[in-house]
Amino acid sequence: MSTRLAALVRKELAVLFGSPLAWLTMAGVALVTALLFFDHLRIYNQILFLYSSSTMGGFTSGTIPIYVNLRDQVFLPVMETLALTLIGLVPLVTMRVFAEERARGTDELLATTRLTPREIVIGKFAATYGFVALLMALSFVYPAASIIRAGLGLPHLLAVYLGLFALGIALASIGLVCSAFSESQLLAAISAYAVAFVLYDFRWTTQFLPEAVAAAIDPLSLHLRFGAFAEGLVRAADLAYFAGYVPIAFALTRLAWDQRRVR
Amino acid sequence: MRELAAIGIVALAFGLGAFYVDRDVPLFALANLAVAAAALGAAGALALRRARAGGASPAARRLLARRIAAVAAALALAWACERGAARGGWTWDATADQRFTLAPATIEALRALPPGLTATLYTEPGDNRARNVRLLLETLAAAGPLEVRTRDLSEASKEAERYGIGSSSTIVLELGERWELVERPTEGALYEALRLLGTPSASVLYVARGEGEGRFDDMEDAGYSGLAAALQVEGYQLRDLVLPAADAIPPDASAVLLVGPRRPLRDVSLAALERYLAAGGRLVALLEPGVETGVEALLARWGFALPDALVVDPASGPVAGDPPGVNPIVFQFSDHPATRGLGPTRMVFLRGARPVIPERKPEPDDTLRAIAYSSRRAWLAPEPGGLPPGAAPERPADAVEDYFPLAAVGSYPREAGEARIVVIGDADFAANHSLRALYNADFILNAIHWAAAREPEITLRPKTITVDQFPMTPQQSLRMLYGVGLLVPELCLIAAALAWVRRRSG
Repeated sequence: MSTRLAALVRKELAVLFGSPLAWLTMAGVALVTALLFFDHLRIYNQILFLYSSSTMGGFTSGTIPIYVNLRDQVFLPVMETLALTLIGLVPLVTMRVFAEERARGTDELLATTRLTPREIVIGKFAATYGFVALLMALSFVYPAASIIRAGLGLPHLLAVYLGLFALGIALASIGLVCSAFSESQLLAAISAYAVAFVLYDFRWTTQFLPEAVAAAIDPLSLHLRFGAFAEGLVRAADLAYFAGYVPIAFALTRLAWDQRRVR
Repeated sequence: MRELAAIGIVALAFGLGAFYVDRDVPLFALANLAVAAAALGAAGALALRRARAGGASPAARRLLARRIAAVAAALALAWACERGAARGGWTWDATADQRFTLAPATIEALRALPPGLTATLYTEPGDNRARNVRLLLETLAAAGPLEVRTRDLSEASKEAERYGIGSSSTIVLELGERWELVERPTEGALYEALRLLGTPSASVLYVARGEGEGRFDDMEDAGYSGLAAALQVEGYQLRDLVLPAADAIPPDASAVLLVGPRRPLRDVSLAALERYLAAGGRLVALLEPGVETGVEALLARWGFALPDALVVDPASGPVAGDPPGVNPIVFQFSDHPATRGLGPTRMVFLRGARPVIPERKPEPDDTLRAIAYSSRRAWLAPEPGGLPPGAAPERPADAVEDYFPLAAVGSYPREAGEARIVVIGDADFAANHSLRALYNADFILNAIHWAAAREPEITLRPKTITVDQFPMTPQQSLRMLYGVGLLVPELCLIAAALAWVRRRSG
């Protein structure tokens, strides 16, 4: 990474962590994860202890119904909720990245530095993706600590978090594009929500489109792709799908940046 | 134009938000989506008109054209990468029960079918299992020629009636005019359906009866109905052979199964078996310790020694409520088709076993070998019938510790054909209570396949692995929540407060 680019990333991170919003977002994700995970783990434990009470045969194999397991009772519901939480929180972080610069007019100042437009976009993207990674890492601490302590299901949890990270990157990419095309942070956030909602799950299209067409566009949905990770299955195709958001968002942001320059 | 776009975006967010809350498209969502479509369409048209009328310089137009081309290239790149990755098919199954890792048998069963196989998954909205089943089908489709379809059950009443579909997440596998219904889709259930769709084999197995042998129609724990069902799935026809009334083994027998006889066989039965083997017949004998049936003497003529003793293997802990050592867990196998794939991580669990020692070859060209062994710490307890129930056998001072063969096979080329014999020193391991434990089903099914000269069908079948079910105590959970779960957000909130104060003051 060039010195100029590194300086830009540092500046972006400093701005990000200088604002209470970033910390509040991290607190929100970590708190929601902890409470959701604890609550589901608590209920799961209660069910297990109920089944394992002496009148029901203890922990002998076969006495506990197969559906009472970490995957079905804890991982899936918590991670589904977390995925929706990300849609709510990630645009709050991305909305300011370009829109704030435009609103304040500092984007023109930035354009006069020796940084190329590509470097500017890369720097902002890198800082935002880094923040998403940090967000995921913070929310990972408690579930991972619990699971490691119980000695169970860590690979599945890793798969789920890989999916959440990939989803976070995709949502951040959408948010960055919306921010790049907008001068208003509010509009950037709302349009990021709207686009994320459109892409999150295409099942709503079955109400309007023929079944075959709806089935054809279904694989484009974020929810479907994230679902495989939530189920514990990591597929290269799903990783490539989420990674694909990065070059598309980068190209669209460059378009927005240059459109502004030539206007 | 911007106002219209803003209205459209807000309406779109609310319309789809309502869908995600309701999982349906109520009137509110419908109205919002209609407004969004109209507003965004109008905004787009206005933007297009403005762009056409605008007086951007040729250089600016070229720049923007390059950027638009870059967007198209990025889309193409993303699409190509996704397709390439999908074609490569790399996956990592992180589930505790390895539910997306297909057994070799499933893949072989799928690939053995002629082209044109379709799997239709019938689901209802809100069925949480559907995604898991769909992923399992996609995994299967990636392994062989299978077309996967999904249908809404509420819109497929005709199919539901035709196939008898009673619940969501049901799969119908179709191949031409034939079809199989899979109501609780697991890999095991799909495997059985795939096998049933395949061409049925003409192999006939005769199951000996009449001297207290295990019953293949008994569905209790001690019965062998599970083995019967598994053999039928593998393409065998099962027929009873009432030994006391049989003076000859039917000529269409692919093999004879002798499963745990409890009484001595009559001389006429033994003679029939002897003649059958001499004529190139195939026998699979599962013989319990503590029972003398006369088969031991017959097998001795074919080279097997079966001392009446119990193999006690201290390397095996207490299993199934029995004392330690009496139910050996077998993890040492010799290289033979019947034990293909079995080993230290794919073990077999016997429930009280006698040694089966390949002693001497009747003819120089015969082949005789042990295929499964106890651990080196095992010893023989004589008179297994005299052991007190529930008590751990005590090792006599003069008992010799050694690897004891627990199963052996022999093949005997004769003029009339090649005779094959499989002898296993236990029958209970294939009963309903133990058949699905570890790799017991694979061991017995593969041994039968080998005896019946159906080696290509020897494989490892799908397993149901126990999922994570052991909990943390409530105290541990609470300690983790206070120790880690709440600490992280608390520190973040403190940092947020400091950032806010710093901004206000500076």
